[in-house]
Amino acid sequence: MDTLNLLLDGFSNALTPQNLLYACIGVLLGTFVGVLPGIGPAMTVALLLPITYGLDATQSFIMFAGILYGGMYGGSTTSILLNTPGESSSVMTAIEGNKMAKAGRGAQALATAAIGSFIAGTIGTLLVAFFTPAIAEQAVKIGAASYFAIMLLSVVLVTSVLGESKLRGFIGLFIGLTIGLVGLDLSTGQPRLTAGMLELADGIDIVVVAVGVFAIGEALWTAAHLRRRPIEVIPVGQPFMRRDDWRRSWGPWLRGTAIGFPFGAVPAGGAETPTFLSYVLERRLQKPGKDQEQFGEGAIEGVAGPEAANNASAAGMFVPLLALGLPVTATAAVIIAAMRTYGIQPGPTLMADQPELVWTLLASLLIGNTLLLVINLPLAPLWARLLQIPRPQLYAGILFFASLGAYSVNQDPYDLALLLVFGGVGFAIRRFGIPVLPLILGVILGPLMEQKMREALDLSNGDISGLFNEPLAVFVYVLIVLVVVAPYVLGFIRSRRSAP
Amino acid sequence: MTVVIGYVPNQYGEAALHLGLQEAASRQLRVIVVNASRGDAFVDKKFVTEQALRDLDERLTATGVDHRVHQSAGVDVGDEIVRVAEQNHAELVVIGIRPRSPVGKVLMGSVAQTVIMDAPCPVLTVRPDVL
Amino acid sequence: MTTPVTTPAPRVDRAQYGLAALLAVVGVYTIVDARGLNVGFGDPIGPRVFPYVIGAVMILLAVLLAVATSRGDVPEAEAGEDVDLTVRADWLTVGKLVGVMVLNLLFINLLGWAITGALLFAGCAWSLGSRTLVRDLIVGAVMSVSSWYFFWVVLDVPLSPGILDGIL
Repeated sequence: MDTLNLLLDGFSNALTPQNLLYACIGVLLGTFVGVLPGIGPAMTVALLLPITYGLDATQSFIMFAGILYGGMYGGSTTSILLNTPGESSSVMTAIEGNKMAKAGRGAQALATAAIGSFIAGTIGTLLVAFFTPAIAEQAVKIGAASYFAIMLLSVVLVTSVLGESKLRGFIGLFIGLTIGLVGLDLSTGQPRLTAGMLELADGIDIVVVAVGVFAIGEALWTAAHLRRRPIEVIPVGQPFMRRDDWRRSWGPWLRGTAIGFPFGAVPAGGAETPTFLSYVLERRLQKPGKDQEQFGEGAIEGVAGPEAANNASAAGMFVPLLALGLPVTATAAVIIAAMRTYGIQPGPTLMADQPELVWTLLASLLIGNTLLLVINLPLAPLWARLLQIPRPQLYAGILFFASLGAYSVNQDPYDLALLLVFGGVGFAIRRFGIPVLPLILGVILGPLMEQKMREALDLSNGDISGLFNEPLAVFVYVLIVLVVVAPYVLGFIRSRRSAP
Repeated sequence: MTVVIGYVPNQYGEAALHLGLQEAASRQLRVIVVNASRGDAFVDKKFVTEQALRDLDERLTATGVDHRVHQSAGVDVGDEIVRVAEQNHAELVVIGIRPRSPVGKVLMGSVAQTVIMDAPCPVLTVRPDVL
Repeated sequence: MTTPVTTPAPRVDRAQYGLAALLAVVGVYTIVDARGLNVGFGDPIGPRVFPYVIGAVMILLAVLLAVATSRGDVPEAEAGEDVDLTVRADWLTVGKLVGVMVLNLLFINLLGWAITGALLFAGCAWSLGSRTLVRDLIVGAVMSVSSWYFFWVVLDVPLSPGILDGIL
């Protein structure tokens, strides 16, 4: 009951006419940028970060909620209409969604995606509201040693579970950790890795890193390999659903939500696996024969389920973000960067220190989600027209806004140079197949990990046992070992078995 | 000898196609229909889809005229029409044109202008409203 | 995915050796830099340990990458909606874009965002193959001037006006 009251308080903070206006602007901008091909939610949020600078924390979070959901919906619009998913989480949506669109049912596909996202987002956010306080309450009691261990677990998970090559994952992580080192050491005030440059003493603005790696790096990489062929255009009408579509959609929506949320809440869960699982599940659940054959030919269940799973996992990521200060996706990492620009350090104490802010954020997520449905269903045909923007102007626009964003932080050309450097880093990691997420996690969690490690070791007077003197920490280290070692052991057993 | 028709799937392209076929029939010429796109946008409404391309081919077959449909992406549309005309020693190029103000022409560029200036043969232009 | 270029069977991505070398240099520099730090009195850990660990692991990763490369490990370059990996990297375009962005950062304080922003947009579009220069300049000018006013009026952030000071 307490939670409900707090959430209602959050609503009363968020629901002023002015704030609703910011939410609307957020949804429109987020969808606008998200629809544009080649731009995923993380890049959308990073590009639009600077326009919230002049606002106070509450207003900017409200706008963010809109941008986040708008960006995600924009991404699924592109994948349904063009069969070119912007990111791995939309791959499953694209399979059936594009088939539906080609069969003239694009409007229904967009509608089931939008309504499914709304339902999953709403249920997911409510779950966040009920889980987070309890977890945060426990998390406050966690000592420095255990907190360090948990952060270590999440970076190891993200680095070794996702992606093809573990080696490249760790390279990305350590590039990020090195970037995180730059600046003054917090406890002794000595500059590290600044090469004598005064500008670097304050550390590198995480916004510049995110915009450089996501936006500039992506634009340069794409420029080097620009595709020169238009894709078949699919006309879109007003999205609506027939009675039959509703009947077939609601099951997948709820099941997708149930699958997606837990994955979003754990590190390395992401949206990829749950969308895939949801797709497979919906396919299995069809009656054998005619219904099952529809899969692959444009089955509405195949859009409804994965889309719901995608959004539920996006909501799930707020649990570790708000309760522990752990970002588990690239988008979450950018949101943490945004919170830091307001001097807010997400972590176990956030719930206790600034409850009003957290509850307002949760309420704004619900509002943003609702506005998304109200605004975007009628606007779908308009968004589809954005796809006619020529690529040169599109990527020129990305570079324009990325530069504007980096410059507006301090109005210093130095930041533009830094932006270009990180654009180069972003280009290189794409060239060498190094994943982006571990790098960004390294930048964000590195300083925090060092701080906790030193706290723990200070208590033990420098003795290494300080890292292991809490039961929880030991348990987490065992988990880490299992995660790293288990695949090899399993592989070994399997090869023994298959051997004659 | 051939007549090259610049085609886009709208009223301007249809006008060019209509007039081009008439000319081809009266002069006993072969027809090459050209559709092209710079291909720099994700979606280009002037680029004929595969299905529509087959339909177009069937339509031409039905008229009984000796024809070929040529499509390319990633090229300047005007240059491509001129290139095809040169390559096939065209006797005539037919294109549809739209009314455009001088300012509009500066801003948007003009395929028609490129074709008229650079074509190796006479160019016949047509507005849909005069047909 | 088939490789379009004719390459002999054991393909070695030489550029990866360069990356490995760069990572090793970064690792060594991190350690050397950390050696210069003072550990305060009564501070059992100090600011050195973390950089030491990071630098050491970085060097280790560099070695592992070099070994993996020599064994024929090739990276899987990132694909995307607008990315066509079957064509060779177009370094000229990338170079032009970087050049335009460098010009922007050099002249932004002198000329002001309203001017360099417009040139940035038009220059980038031109580098990427747009041939409607006049239109791009107009679009760029509209975008840069309106963003200047947006930051000034709505967000209360004055971007550099440059030589247009007093006119804007």
